[in-house]
Amino acid sequence: MKELDLLKKDWKKNENSFEQVSEKEIYKMIHKKSSSIVKWILIISILEFTILNLIGFLIPDEKREELIVIENYLNAFTILGYGITLYFIYLFYKNYKSISVVATTKKLMQSILKTRKTVQYYIWYNIIYIFLIVSLVIVYELQNSPTFNTHNSSKNMLICVISFVLLGVVLGLIWLFYRLIYGILLRRLYANYKELKKIDL
Amino acid sequence: MIENPEHSFVKQLQANQNIIHKICRLYTDCEDSHKDLFQEITIQLWKAFPKFRGDSKFSTWAYRVALNTAITLYRKNKRSIATVEYEARQHFTKDVDYNYEEEEQIKLMYKAVYQLNDIEKALVFMYLEDKDYHEIAETLGISEVNARVKMNRIKGKLKKILNP
Repeated sequence: MKELDLLKKDWKKNENSFEQVSEKEIYKMIHKKSSSIVKWILIISILEFTILNLIGFLIPDEKREELIVIENYLNAFTILGYGITLYFIYLFYKNYKSISVVATTKKLMQSILKTRKTVQYYIWYNIIYIFLIVSLVIVYELQNSPTFNTHNSSKNMLICVISFVLLGVVLGLIWLFYRLIYGILLRRLYANYKELKKIDL
Repeated sequence: MIENPEHSFVKQLQANQNIIHKICRLYTDCEDSHKDLFQEITIQLWKAFPKFRGDSKFSTWAYRVALNTAITLYRKNKRSIATVEYEARQHFTKDVDYNYEEEEQIKLMYKAVYQLNDIEKALVFMYLEDKDYHEIAETLGISEVNARVKMNRIKGKLKKILNP
């Protein structure tokens, strides 16, 4: 077929006309998967931080007056919480940076493991933090409520138990929520890690 | 000491990248999708690299994996890539002086090739790359006879497109 031969001639002529991709760019391409996952972890953590704080600002705190005595504790907790969360965001950012930069397979694997650990610590910190704050409020409220001392103690115990069971349920839901968001990302990251490990053997 | 597989992969891919560029040229219609396909093929090659034992040449192996990736992706996006204007691709290649009539004919040929389906394009690609039927058959996982029959059909199809 004459036309096909003509096409072949043209094809050969243009063979070396492509803009060449550098080795560095190829490195970036094969590492991009990990860095995009870590980027999402960073974005989600920042979003979570902003959204939760916005909600905190929007909810009017009328109840605060009853809690004046422990308010100082709560404020200290809140400031501490901000600090720790910001520190975690900084760690996520550092992880993202270290994975973005072209690194050797081994370094990349280490960064992936580190990122996974950071996320796990972050989740546990959040759960423990909420548990501590809410328990503080529950215990304080129960001790200072006017009904606490006048009624029999078994009823008080019941209220206490119910409060903590509810807290447990809420914490469970939060844990599930985190597992869902970060779990998917971490699983993908881990799959990438396993691939790298296979290659590195 | 065994060379770091990542280094060896990147080096070999860099040296053989025109294979991928050429496949992108047949399967995509604009610079962005060219780049996307290039990256996708690179990732797939990297994923498949542990299975590359080195008993064939890197380029032979790359042809197979890259073509399979292009075929699979092309199937997924069939609608978006179905019709393509040759003009849209002009900026890909440097200007080379052409005989005007020949140039027109070549344009029409490219247009015709774009209308072929994924497998047919793969065959045309191998043909343009001067591969014999044995290699075409092996790369695409079909029999040599089948490859010959398919190629003849493609020629017929192209003629029909050129002279409707």
